Amino acid sequence: MSTIVIGLSMGMLLFLLAAGLTLIFGMLRVINFAHGSLYMLGAYLAFQMVSVTGSFWAGLVAAPIIAAIIGALMERIALRPVYDRDHVYQLLLTFGFILVLDEAVRIIWGLEYKQMYPPELFAGAIEMFGSSVPSYRLFIIGFGAAVSAALFFMLDRSRYGMIIRAASGDPEMVRTLGINVSLVRTGVFSFGAGLAALGGAVAGPLFPIELGMGFNIIIDSFIVVIIGGLGNIRGAVMAALLIGMTRALGYSYAPSWVDFLTFILLIGTLILRPEGLFSRKGRTA
Amino acid sequence: MSLLEMQNCDVFYGKAQALHDVSISVEEGEIVSLIGRNGAGKSTLLKAIMGLNPIASGKRMYDGRDATRLSTEMLGRSGIAYVPEDRRIFATLNVDENLRIATVMGREGAWNLERVYDLFPRLKERMTSRGDTLSGGEQQMLAVGRGLLTNPELLLLDEPTEGLAPLVVEDLIKAMALINAEGVAILLVEQNLKVPLKLAKRQYLIDNGHIRWSGKTEDLLAEREKIEGLISL
Repeated sequence: MSTIVIGLSMGMLLFLLAAGLTLIFGMLRVINFAHGSLYMLGAYLAFQMVSVTGSFWAGLVAAPIIAAIIGALMERIALRPVYDRDHVYQLLLTFGFILVLDEAVRIIWGLEYKQMYPPELFAGAIEMFGSSVPSYRLFIIGFGAAVSAALFFMLDRSRYGMIIRAASGDPEMVRTLGINVSLVRTGVFSFGAGLAALGGAVAGPLFPIELGMGFNIIIDSFIVVIIGGLGNIRGAVMAALLIGMTRALGYSYAPSWVDFLTFILLIGTLILRPEGLFSRKGRTA
Repeated sequence: MSLLEMQNCDVFYGKAQALHDVSISVEEGEIVSLIGRNGAGKSTLLKAIMGLNPIASGKRMYDGRDATRLSTEMLGRSGIAYVPEDRRIFATLNVDENLRIATVMGREGAWNLERVYDLFPRLKERMTSRGDTLSGGEQQMLAVGRGLLTNPELLLLDEPTEGLAPLVVEDLIKAMALINAEGVAILLVEQNLKVPLKLAKRQYLIDNGHIRWSGKTEDLLAEREKIEGLISL
């Protein structure tokens, strides 16, 4: 039972990152290498808020907002001038973001591990089907499910979602309708950065907060994005849960094979269904 | 005063010049057509009007003001609607969303969802179908409807009847006449004279990036053979 809970909570965390990556790729055609650093930044910001205010919830709210502002600035100042250039420039630029963000975190918070604790409400463990499950893990599952439901509702039903879907396919045509697409781009990048930081804030109490924490999860997030189908956010949910479960099962039954299993899934997908396991033809966003 | 005036425009694709010193105008509420062969520069000119191709030299005047430097979105908001040759329906949006997205930043005016559905009842039947499941005729109606919902003063139509069944073409011609009767000016681009002769009072003939002839439809008819020779239709 606890394996399932760990797997699902891991999957939800991965989805928060993969959703941002997917939206940003769909809208900006940019693969954001710095997504892991934004996740890390979210964890540090949440840690800082918690140590100042003493409230986990303040951190959970503040971290994504601050990261979203930073994301908006990154897009406006740095990414916007290079959209028309070759993809290499954008990749190099987002790689540059990693260096800048990591260095900023090192200067502000130093090199030692930071620790965050689950909020009191979810500090204990719950007995489920004869095994003890940390209730914070259950919170992550519920919270992740709520965030993804809200995200899908926004994409499918709201006016913003409609514009994002249209502009991911044909930005020029959207502009002819009087809609400022470059503002939409900034919004999407900023929103993705916020989601990554939200992931970081949620992950804070689970893992030690350290400089390298973004690196491990970003690899898995990219795998999720590819297995789900590039630019396909529905696929990303399924893929995130698949990878989360695979890793959790791997940790309990064959710990040294975890990465191997993940990459087998990735390679299998690329060979058998390179458009993504959960891709419907022509589906974006 | 003309609604739109393109004055002495040069447009380039990379290093190749696509339009040479092109000047055209559209008066308020009229239908004008721009006729030429494939590759003559018709679509290039429409895109230049919409701000999708940069104007290297020359001017775009709109509503009596210099609009040369306006961005595509500003031109859209000022009352120009663009219906491209390949329709460019948003594939992942359904029919209703494809129409509603035009109202987000569209101007206030006589056109609303209900009236567009009245004009094209077929679209209402297919309201919830995704854009990429529509037939050519449905896509064309949707593209026109989408343009209308921005409540434009000027509708740019790039080969709206191309590749459509004759009955659908008849419907579209009726729709264009109706839209025009409500005061919307139309710049109609076509490869042949068939539809322009039915709708437009004035014609521009374009070839190789140059405007070769312009004038009233009756003058065109009077000298039809000679003029058709000019642009080798």
